[in-house]
This record gives sequence, structure tokens and C-alpha cells, in this order.
Amino acid sequence: MDEPLLAKVTAIVGGSLCVSAADGQKVYDKIAPLMEKGRPVILSFQGVETLISAFLNAAVGQLYGKFSEASIRELLSVQDMSQEDLATLKRVVENAKRYFANKPAYDAAWKGEVGDDEE
Amino acid sequence: MIYYLPSIQNDKSGYEALAALAQEAKPLIGDELELDFSRCGFFAANMAAPLGAVLNAIESDFNTVGIVNVPDFIEIILRKNDFLKNYGYEPLEDSNQTTIPYRRIQLADSTRFEGFIKKHLRGKGIPSMTEGFGAVFKRKLYEVFENAVIHSRSEIGVCVCGQFFPNKQKLDITIADAGIGIRQNVRRHLNHPRLSSVAAITWAVEEGHSTKTGPHPGGLGLKFLKDFTLKNRGCIQIVSRMGFYEFANGVESCTKMAADLPGTVINIEINTGDSATYELAEEISPDDIF
Repeated sequence: MDEPLLAKVTAIVGGSLCVSAADGQKVYDKIAPLMEKGRPVILSFQGVETLISAFLNAAVGQLYGKFSEASIRELLSVQDMSQEDLATLKRVVENAKRYFANKPAYDAAWKGEVGDDEE
Repeated sequence: MIYYLPSIQNDKSGYEALAALAQEAKPLIGDELELDFSRCGFFAANMAAPLGAVLNAIESDFNTVGIVNVPDFIEIILRKNDFLKNYGYEPLEDSNQTTIPYRRIQLADSTRFEGFIKKHLRGKGIPSMTEGFGAVFKRKLYEVFENAVIHSRSEIGVCVCGQFFPNKQKLDITIADAGIGIRQNVRRHLNHPRLSSVAAITWAVEEGHSTKTGPHPGGLGLKFLKDFTLKNRGCIQIVSRMGFYEFANGVESCTKMAADLPGTVINIEINTGDSATYELAEEISPDDIF
């Protein structure tokens, strides 16, 4: 297997704040094509000051819509994350797995909910 | 049109009063609204955010808004937090450092929101808030703002305002937009055109539920906020259209409003005397994520 490439999140988003889905998308757009070619990627969060789930949903969560869990485990790793950020990432990953495994059911589950015609 | 604003508490009645104002002013186009505070006996400072969102939406229909007859004690608060500056009043210095000033921020300008929060949460009479706690709280606020960016489609941006109550050890921060509201997002997403606001909000606060379209999942921001509020013994209010949601002391309720408040308001009240640690119970290995 090829040597992993180190993707520095702060370099991709241009700063230390990872608080928007738009910036998360930039990270996804960088790493997904590499992973598609089978190239392992290490995402480094060194220098990241603040990280939120909306960013990680776009950067990492959506990978589960394109790659299998096994491929992601094989090709993606993270480093330089605080425990708090790792906990957020773990929740994002669990949520993404559930979401893509059961997408139609997620959307339909509440379809029969009783509403009122308030307008 | 002259509109007499009643007292505005930081509760359902306060939001209903602002919704009544929005509803009354809805037919105005190219007109004048004089908002008369002479019957207003109390105004919770953080409620300047939803009031600002309502007034900005009225102004965006080519109307002129004026604010008159503000009782002195209310005028002082609303000049200290810069709200009245937008209506021709001189700002007052906040010598007690208890206000998080009123600001209107465009959705495309999210870095301004981050800068604003960083600047105004620092110091500001919140001595008991530890650095770690402050960092966690800021993350929750960024999640809420990003939710507005993703979902609200608010052309007038969002209005933010907050107030610290040192004696009660409470800090309220309120983020209000005048966008399409939770109900419309959830109705479209579930293809359920008659879903009520209460049912829509109840759906939206469930973990993993998100109306976000496109390839990436969502629906964790509010769940994180609820977890945090539970631990902190704080309170969340979410008000959107005809629905009022509150989460306090681990109990959530969602009830129908008496009037229709456009857009979405999220108020977060935190307990600044919180001495709980926000460190995780167990260590997470980066090798055990995917």
C-alpha cells in the first residue's frame, strides 16, 4: 500500500476554526478523491482551536455514503485531536453509519405523525 | 401604525408578545411602525435578539421603524447592549460588563460570529466559568449558529444578544433569525404539508434527525446542546412559528404558541456557577473511531 498522505486540516480550511459545514466540505473534497484511488490519508487536526459536529459531518460523516466502513478503516486515520474532539468525531461517525445504513427509514419514520392545520 | 409593546419576559409569554407584534405588522408595506414602550414594564435584555429579528423583517418590507417612550430603566439596558443604537439612541458604556451586545450578523459572515463570541464571552463578569467550560460552551454556540446558516435561509441574517445575571449565576444568549422556520424545513423534508410546528420541533430535536439535504448527515448539534444543558443544569428554549420548546432540568416540553413568530429563536441559559468537569469518563483512542 502507498505511504499515507498527511492532510493538515488547518491548511485546508485556512485557519484554526472548524465551525462550518462549508469548511468541512473543503476537507472532504481533498481527501475523498485520494481515498477513491486507494491512497491512505492521515487527517491532522494540529492547531485546530474549535471543532463542531457540523464540520465533521461534512468532512468525515459523508464518507460513509461513498465508501464502505472497511475501506474507511483501512484508508483513513486521524491524529492530533483532543479527547473532546475525538468524542465528537466518534458520535459523528456512529451517526453517519446509522444514517447511511437506514436512510429511507430515517426519513419515513415520522411521516405519519399527527399534525394540525395551523395555517 | 402605533404598536404598544407589553412587558417582555424571557419566557413563552414574551415570545408570544413578539409574535403578536410580527402578526400585527405583517400587512405593512412602505409604512411606518412606531413601537411604543410606555406599557412595557419589563424587558429581558436578551430578548432584544428576537425583537431585532422581528423589526428587521418589518423594515425589509420598506417600512420605517421608530422606538418611543422607553422607560428609563429599560432604555439604560437597551442602550448598554447597543440595541437602541439602531433606532437613533446613543449607546451607553456597560460598566458592569454584564451585557453581550446586540448584533445582526449575515449568514455568510460566520467568522464575525466567532469573533463576536470570543470577544464578548471573555471576562464580562463571568469569573466562575472555567476555561474548559467556556470552550465547551462556545462550541455549542457555534453549532447553533451553523444550524441557522444551514437551515434558516434568513435573508436578514441572525440577531444575537445576551445578558449575564451575576446574582443568579445565569447567562442567557439568544440567537434569532427571520428565516423559514423549523416547520417548513421539516414539512418539506418529510413531505408532510400539514405537520404542526410543535410536531416539527419535536422531530427536529431528536438525535440523528436533520432536514439537511445533500450527501452528508446531520442532526447532532441540538443533541449535543441538550446533553450539555442537562449536565450544566441550564435551559434551552427553541421557538419557531407556532411552537415553543423548552428543555430544563432534564424535562422537555413543546407547546403551541398563541401567535406565529416568524423564523427560529434559540435561547441558551447556562448556569455559570457550574463546577462540573467536562472531561470525558473514558479515554477514546484515535484508532477506535471508524
